[in-house]
Amino acid sequence: MPRDRLPGYQRAAGFDEAVQDSLEVRSHYAAVFEELERLDGSELAARERLRDAIFRRLGITFAVYGDASGSERTWPMDLVPRILPAGEWSQIERGIAQRIRALNMFLDDLYVGERAALRDGVVPSWLVFSSEGFVREAVGLPAPHGARCVVAGIDLVRGADGVFRVLEDNLRTPSGISYVLQNRAALTRVLPRLSARHRIRPVHHYGSSLLAALQALAPRESTGGPRVVVLTPGIWNSAYFEHAFLAQQMGAELCEGRDLVVEDQVVYMRTTRGLERVDVIYRRVDDAFVDPALFRPDSVLGVPGLISALRAGNVAIANSLGCGVADDKAIYPFVPDLVRYYLGEDAILPNVQTYLLWDREQRDAALARLDQLVVKPVAASGGYGIVMGPQSTAEQLEICRKEILADPRGFIAQDLVQLSTHPTFVDGRLEPRHIDLRPFALTGTRTEVFPGGLTRVALRRGSYIVNSSQGGGSKDTWVLEETGAG
Amino acid sequence: MLARHAEDLFWAGRYLERAEDTTRMLDVTYHGLLEGGSSDVEAAWRNLLEALQLAHPFYAKHEQVSPRAVAEFLVADVAQSSSIIAAIARARENGRNVREHLSTELWETLNSCFLELRARDLVAELAAQPHELYREIRTRCQAIAGAASETMARSDPWRFLSLGRLVERAEMTCRMLRVRASRRDARTNFHDFLLVLNSVSALEAYTRAHGAEIDPARVIAFLLLAPDFPRSVLYCVRGADELLAELEGGVPTVRPRRTLGRIRAELEYQDADELRAFGDRTVLDRAQSGIWEVAELVEESFFASGPTPQRHIFGSP
Repeated sequence: MPRDRLPGYQRAAGFDEAVQDSLEVRSHYAAVFEELERLDGSELAARERLRDAIFRRLGITFAVYGDASGSERTWPMDLVPRILPAGEWSQIERGIAQRIRALNMFLDDLYVGERAALRDGVVPSWLVFSSEGFVREAVGLPAPHGARCVVAGIDLVRGADGVFRVLEDNLRTPSGISYVLQNRAALTRVLPRLSARHRIRPVHHYGSSLLAALQALAPRESTGGPRVVVLTPGIWNSAYFEHAFLAQQMGAELCEGRDLVVEDQVVYMRTTRGLERVDVIYRRVDDAFVDPALFRPDSVLGVPGLISALRAGNVAIANSLGCGVADDKAIYPFVPDLVRYYLGEDAILPNVQTYLLWDREQRDAALARLDQLVVKPVAASGGYGIVMGPQSTAEQLEICRKEILADPRGFIAQDLVQLSTHPTFVDGRLEPRHIDLRPFALTGTRTEVFPGGLTRVALRRGSYIVNSSQGGGSKDTWVLEETGAG
Repeated sequence: MLARHAEDLFWAGRYLERAEDTTRMLDVTYHGLLEGGSSDVEAAWRNLLEALQLAHPFYAKHEQVSPRAVAEFLVADVAQSSSIIAAIARARENGRNVREHLSTELWETLNSCFLELRARDLVAELAAQPHELYREIRTRCQAIAGAASETMARSDPWRFLSLGRLVERAEMTCRMLRVRASRRDARTNFHDFLLVLNSVSALEAYTRAHGAEIDPARVIAFLLLAPDFPRSVLYCVRGADELLAELEGGVPTVRPRRTLGRIRAELEYQDADELRAFGDRTVLDRAQSGIWEVAELVEESFFASGPTPQRHIFGSP
């Protein structure tokens, strides 16, 4: 029988994913908690040890920058899965696909189009051209099928009203998909009975979908299919595990900049049989490092001459150069307008209320209640540089105010969304912890949103910071099949 | 495949083989001495260091040879780049570099081996139960080899990994023989050659082929020429040659294969009795320098187009 209460669970304010306001367990979570209930304390601890052993053995660890010991931490996955019923997911799926389509059209418009959105005043031109993410060298570079942002990760949060909102777009080199796949694999090993009672939409085909999307970009026909490689900054990058994992899933070579060479505007890799031509590069190296000949001469991560090969149409790169302009946080408030402009539809997923600080009126409004807002630098990611108004001292807010006044273009302010909570094991007991959701979308000839995505968890009580670089955890994230009862 | 990856795999193979062989040699030396029969304890440990070409680095750190000091130096000294722990750490590091070429089972076995050994107090275990530790390291190395053998496709990554193993193994067998062969004139010692056979796990195979009489010349002939024993020099050389022959099309295999062919022919057509009559050093010396040459030619032929040649810890004459 489905259970109606979670014993001992102290529900927090806001929306709880698994427990209603009446404290009844939401029906799609009933079976999961029924199974988890069977585990006594020592059994639970044993399962957690097994989970850690699995991740450690697989080498699923991540480096934490600035950690003096330079050590790797085991990937933290909570044993309680996050469950999205089919209906909820279908709205997210349509919303993300819609958003990615519009953003790709915007990028194509900017880099190879007539810049219609600027001409028609949808987005102020100066905002685009002052964006750190706008890459002048990318103007005129073609992208097959208009697939500029091939891999996107869109961060969603769910407020107290239960509505999913887009918190930010990640269109440059978003990471996390490998953890989605590994969380699934690990949870089914650690708690097989949990997943056995549900029909969960699979995610393990990501590698073949990614390969297909990348091959669709290839500039030439070649026997045996286009040659795709993954370009990584190297073993010391915090996402190296993911780069290697994706290369393995695709059967592609994992290259560093030094493995590639450009001759006569063609990219080759250095192999045991000499140089071999490369058709598509899935790069996990930032724009600024891609081609040291053009951008950062001190960079050893990139490939000198790569831009010339791109310009000559001899190689394709994903994501395209310059996608960062569309996930600039100062552009973000305009995305619903871009959706309407390019697609003639209303945005399915709303944004979080955002203040444009370069606008006098909005800035004054924001500065008046800075202690209730979240201030973010427009070009940063990974949770760095964020000021949480309610948790800041008067001095911190004063510094923040001065920084805003000195560079109003450089920041945005947002209403603090009360992130939804999810029952999470903390020292063997279930406690509410804040979570978000990063679904991933692939665009080749069409856009495909992967079921679920990465659920990140703020492991400290009350904290809103979910980034793994700052002590966040994760959850296996299930999307239930249409007919699958929970 | 990428030249850099091929190089990492080749060296991962060498490191793993080095770790396994060193473990076996340590175990045999230690227990051989306990079982008695050898007159000179210190000489046995010196021989071991010399076979591994590590006498010089050892004396740079330690004044005297003692079983304890040698074992710690060869097993647990992380600063000593040929130690077992360092070799396994490097193999794992290389494995991480080429993670996408390894089967998940192989990577898991390799990674667990490293994590497990790193987490333990090897010095204390060497003092308490050396045999248990040696046995475990050896078993873990063999599990890695087994995972590679049973889960990797027979394509170039497998070939470079295996090539590294065979080259290292052939060299180790030569080194073992050289150290013993050079000392056997005065007191030909049954016991020493029993140790040699045990060090490469060859005693049982030798006994089946030649009976229980441990004749030094016959031992040398066996370890050089036995076509069916996986740690004999001929077996390794043949295996290496076959791996190179199978490398995927258009690869420049001519130079290393020419040298391998030369060693192979000399060993294949060598008459074991003649070997005894002529004195075995010449054949052994030629085989060993040939193997060094092969290792260099492999580097030049396959890895040279790669970014920057790495500096490795052993293998130079």
